[in-house]
Amino acid sequence: MIDRWIWRLLPWVPAAIALLAWWAWFAIEQPPASVMPSAFAVIATMADLAFGGRLPGDILASMARLLGGSALGIVTGMAAGFVAGLNRPIADFMNPLVVFFNAISGIVWLPLVIGWLGIGSPLAIFLIWNTVFFIIFQNTVLGVQLVPEVLELGVQSLGGSRWETIRSVTLPGALPYILSGIRSGLGFGWRALIAAELVGATTGLGQLIFSGAEYHRADIIVGGCLLIGAIAMAMDRWLLLPIEKRTVIRWGLVATGQGR
Amino acid sequence: MRAARLRLLAGVALIAAILFGQSLIGIATAGGRLDPVLRDSTGPVNVVVVMDFIPERFHTERLSTYGVFAGRDKTVNRVRLRMVSPENLRRLSRLVWVSTVEPGR
Amino acid sequence: MKPLKTLIPFAVLVAVWWGIKAGADVPDKLLVAPLAVWASFTGLVSHGILAEYASASLRLIGTAAIISFVIGVPLGFAVGTNRYAARALEGTLRFLQGISGIAWLPLAILWFGFSQTTTLTIVIYTLIVPIIFNTMTGVRAIPDNYALALQSLGAGRLRIVRDVYLPGALPSIIVGMRLGMGYGWRALIASEMLVRQGGLGDLIFGARTFGQIDRIMVGMVVIGTLYIVVDRLLVQPVETLTVARWGVLRR
Repeated sequence: MIDRWIWRLLPWVPAAIALLAWWAWFAIEQPPASVMPSAFAVIATMADLAFGGRLPGDILASMARLLGGSALGIVTGMAAGFVAGLNRPIADFMNPLVVFFNAISGIVWLPLVIGWLGIGSPLAIFLIWNTVFFIIFQNTVLGVQLVPEVLELGVQSLGGSRWETIRSVTLPGALPYILSGIRSGLGFGWRALIAAELVGATTGLGQLIFSGAEYHRADIIVGGCLLIGAIAMAMDRWLLLPIEKRTVIRWGLVATGQGR
Repeated sequence: MRAARLRLLAGVALIAAILFGQSLIGIATAGGRLDPVLRDSTGPVNVVVVMDFIPERFHTERLSTYGVFAGRDKTVNRVRLRMVSPENLRRLSRLVWVSTVEPGR
Repeated sequence: MKPLKTLIPFAVLVAVWWGIKAGADVPDKLLVAPLAVWASFTGLVSHGILAEYASASLRLIGTAAIISFVIGVPLGFAVGTNRYAARALEGTLRFLQGISGIAWLPLAILWFGFSQTTTLTIVIYTLIVPIIFNTMTGVRAIPDNYALALQSLGAGRLRIVRDVYLPGALPSIIVGMRLGMGYGWRALIASEMLVRQGGLGDLIFGARTFGQIDRIMVGMVVIGTLYIVVDRLLVQPVETLTVARWGVLRR
């Protein structure tokens, strides 16, 4: 009985130790607020920002950009992925290009695109689209190519058109990979978003942290970082994982769980 | 297996070329850069560093580490450096992007 | 490798690029012609600029990789061999992975200023989390039998690490390194853009200030090419060679 409790509590141990160490350091060393704030200060500042401050607006701005960019990335990635997946010559042609542009995906585009779109949401959405597109594309291509040809031929031999084949066999068949890709993509997209906002935005969580640095407010930075991590976990645990589980289980397919 | 080894070799060679290639070429061609008059200098001298392109801030910043930057000499691609020690003179002669190093006034 | 075949798509891309720039009237500040980019590239090389900035980035990622490996792998072993430690740290590592290295950049700047130390710290952080995580998973995937067998023959702990854990976990460790290098290279460029103390990120961000689109594009191509070189000509072959040699325990 006690063993089970220990098992359940273990994941929280590092956090507890960190908190203790933080409190101890603060009590003993008493570093200035610009180097390391006390845990209380962080909580107080974050609460202050949350209720009546800029935090809700920032979170909303960031999430909106993430959703916008990701939606674009998912739609374009799936479309391109299907085209390439179903068509070997196209896939072979695109592969080197995809590998190269994947290598520079995300923030590397910032200096160039700032000239096209300026600072703000369009820039962030572009960078997120860029990041998400390649992940979804590669996963979709993989998923489509791995659907056993036998199944597709089976539908066609029963008189199904090409479109019907795609809809009833290829799409569900590729779905586990696509969903895995969406899950990874959103994780990467969130991280890319923060990087994008650090340099090129006026609102949002990334910009919040950066402004914290400008005013030497370590409490804002630490609070912001922890919040970013928390949102990433929450998004993954309570939104994406259930979606992946439910659709894949519903269609009775085996999830690969890898997707990167 | 052999393909992997070849790739590794190519990768290491490429990275080494990027990291060291420029300095090695600079050292190999160092002979032609220093003006003969400067070759046996024993104390700090004033020199003019000549480049065959218009230098950017990058170049003047680097040059400033070898001597006191003293402005241009006639044209914009000639830079005056004062109080350059013999050791720094040697280092200057090894810079690939420097054309020649002439004695200054 | 079929080098010629891989280059054709790029040739087509350059041709399309050339066509767009020549045909439509695209201003220079939006898009620059391929020839201009090439001229910029040769200029940057002959003026000694590119080699220095590229070397700075390469040195940094190399240093970070070595440090992360040297610290991360033993840590991963220590944690992986103990069920409770693994359970305790798994969630925290996942949480940290959600906070990209870049998010900590403002804090690092506050502590270390605008210096290479800041960039190094961030890149090490970015690299070390996947390494620890993958070392952990690699070690935990090794069936206990192997270690127990050696133990029953009287082998000491160090011997077991060397002959069972290290080879067994190595494929997973290398995968972790590959992932880490991918994240790390990106974090490196982003950090260099903010810290501006040399490196390719500094190069392209600086070029932005002067509107030198040709230089930005050269930088982007170099960044992408260098990553591909490091990944395909360094990390991947090492992965192939180690797995080929010790791949017995690979899942």
